Amino acid sequence: MLAGIILLSGTAVILSRNPVHSVLWLILAFFNAAGLFLMLGAEFLAMILVIVYVGAVAVLFLFVVMMLDIDFAKLREGFVSYLPFGLILAGVLAAELIVAAMAAVVVGSPGEPVAPVIAAAADVSNTEALGALIYTKYAYVFQASGMVLLTAMIGAIVLTHRQRSGVKRQNIGQQVARRPEDAVIITKPGVGQGVEL
Amino acid sequence: MIGLSHYLTVAAILFVLGVLGIILNRKNVIVILMSIELILLAVNINMVAFSSYLGDLTGQIFGMFILTVAAAEAAIGLAILVLYFRNRGTIAVDQINQMKG
Amino acid sequence: MQPIAESIGIAAPELVLATGAMVLLMLGVFRGNRSLHGLTYGGVIIYAIAGFALLGDAQSELAFDGLYIADDFSAYLKVLIFAAAAICSIIALPYLVRARSDKFEYPVLIMLGALGMSMMVSANDLLSLYIGLELQSLAAYVLAAFHRNEASSSEAGLKYFVLGALASGILLYGVSLVYGFTGTTDFRLLQVAVTETPAVGTVIGLVFILAGLAFKVSAVPFHMWTPDVYQGAPTPVAAFFASAPKAAAMGLLVRVCMDAFGGMMSEWQQIIAFMAIASMVLGAVGAIGQRSIKRLLAYSSINNIGFALIGLAAASELGISGVLFYMAIYLPMTIGAFLVVLSLRGADGRPLDTMNSLKGLSKTRPGLAIALLIFMFSLAGIPPLFGFWPKFAVFNAAIDAEMYVLAVIGVVTSVVGAFYYLRIIKLAYFDEPEGTVLPQESRVNGALLAGIAVFCSPLGLFLMGPITVAAARAARAMLTF
Repeated sequence: MLAGIILLSGTAVILSRNPVHSVLWLILAFFNAAGLFLMLGAEFLAMILVIVYVGAVAVLFLFVVMMLDIDFAKLREGFVSYLPFGLILAGVLAAELIVAAMAAVVVGSPGEPVAPVIAAAADVSNTEALGALIYTKYAYVFQASGMVLLTAMIGAIVLTHRQRSGVKRQNIGQQVARRPEDAVIITKPGVGQGVEL
Repeated sequence: MIGLSHYLTVAAILFVLGVLGIILNRKNVIVILMSIELILLAVNINMVAFSSYLGDLTGQIFGMFILTVAAAEAAIGLAILVLYFRNRGTIAVDQINQMKG
Repeated sequence: MQPIAESIGIAAPELVLATGAMVLLMLGVFRGNRSLHGLTYGGVIIYAIAGFALLGDAQSELAFDGLYIADDFSAYLKVLIFAAAAICSIIALPYLVRARSDKFEYPVLIMLGALGMSMMVSANDLLSLYIGLELQSLAAYVLAAFHRNEASSSEAGLKYFVLGALASGILLYGVSLVYGFTGTTDFRLLQVAVTETPAVGTVIGLVFILAGLAFKVSAVPFHMWTPDVYQGAPTPVAAFFASAPKAAAMGLLVRVCMDAFGGMMSEWQQIIAFMAIASMVLGAVGAIGQRSIKRLLAYSSINNIGFALIGLAAASELGISGVLFYMAIYLPMTIGAFLVVLSLRGADGRPLDTMNSLKGLSKTRPGLAIALLIFMFSLAGIPPLFGFWPKFAVFNAAIDAEMYVLAVIGVVTSVVGAFYYLRIIKLAYFDEPEGTVLPQESRVNGALLAGIAVFCSPLGLFLMGPITVAAARAARAMLTF
């Protein structure tokens, strides 16, 4: 059932006329995929999928969709012109991949694992087992993915950050360096005399 | 009983849906980015299903890194999209034709 | 479990680049965009240090539990990558300043891209392959769109991103199938697991992986992005795209084919041979009639990748060393050609890109015209020039492997290709000038241009000995492990 909903919402993502609806369908697909992961015993990935994907990425999408403020009425036409070509291509691709999927059944277990299998110990939770691996065996990839995220950060800033003129900024250095003598004048005016500023 | 091939079939169909979304969509680049997310989700389902059936954690580790990179990719993609929108005022796919030949 | 300290020693070049990129970033953040020049030359020093770190380990070594490999093959390609990245960050300086895109992030992004590439050529596991590839691609997407106020640049970035993300999605799907049907992602273990009669899933997985990698080397039928991206992206960035990533992706392709899927040679040989033929033909035919020099160079790079793929299709030691030799000569030729484009500026100081702007170049800018002549003849593979020898090497490998059809098609397309290179020469030497071309504005670029031109000229033949020896050693390291 989860799988059915995934496919349904996947179709809806690409068919929706309104991008906001597409994003919402995408979120539904992610939730259901998380459900599938739970069934497969990958609890940690399921949670990550919900938190990172639904929580961050999908919301980012929603944010951009709303920010770009596109005239949706204009975006409606079209779509049909590539339909036949697309469907043929998709049909062939789907057939091939499903053959591959079925082959997994025919062979029984997919291939005899030649590698020493990294199995999780029975008394350790999925999260713990993954954690033990990424900081040891996969430390290199872990560091590298840090660089990937750094690149993404630099990239997003380089591309979209604009220095607007006329914005009043807080100068923290100046604020901290400010001393009472510069800011306050302490005078003792005589009675009846004003204060000269 | 749900077997490995069921998961693989779901992933295969989802993958094809994503590719289809990219090919068919002529109007909106954001939907293309979402289709890419669908493709990556399909890959992840594959990875986790294999990992679970092989009893090997490598697949789940791979899946985790795919999620990480996909998030970075989405960020860059949206940044480029926003930049493009600022320059051209549209994100319709048909309009991305300034260069030809 | 291998001790981390030992692994870190083996992966020193990557470590230098990663740390260097972060140091440059911090300096840039504190000093602002004024520091662009300083950071660029600092970056060159870091590339030099990273290159220095390559020396020493002569034998093949695995690190990080088999995720990473350092051998002659990866060292050879890394030298090319670092050199190309250093040159591409230097030549960009005048362009960026003039286009008012002089942001300090430019050398940092190039360096992160170079880091990704060097991880690619050292990948010994599908996981490290993927992360390296993505690091390189993400940096490249940003660089393509780096010219923020230019619509064509952001269009190039968008196209590159969409097609690139699709390609890595396809690659990943292939990876997941291969993992599922063999139970491993390690190249060494895959070599054992993949045999002459592989499971259907493994074959489909291999096809998908090759498709994803073909996109990165821009081989036909995954070349569509190349002309548009080269034309739209800032010229120095296009020079970068045409050089270093090609070498890295080619190295990766060789390693994946020869090493991981060595058991399925007959399967991938057909695919690679097809891609080689299609790339050579389409690259040669597509270039005819182009009006933009950058588009023409894009087709030329598709065509050249086709030639290099011949060597891989031969799948012998001779072929692999041919590929490596080819990349070593192709990189300077293409960077040089882009440098010529970079040096073309119209009377108003704006960069020129049309073929017509080359008219009469020999009268307005004789020096530049000679450099152009050398690069074009070299790309065309006309004998006394350096560009002839790598072509000769790969054809030789193809004949040695009894792939006569491939060799014949290669010769025919290189004759067709010579036609459009000669058209450029005709425009530059036999037509009357139209408009003016401003003189070279940067002495550094002029010196680099002259240096690369000398390298590609017959004088470069003095270097041929060492390069072929290094390429042969690298190929042997690839095959004997």
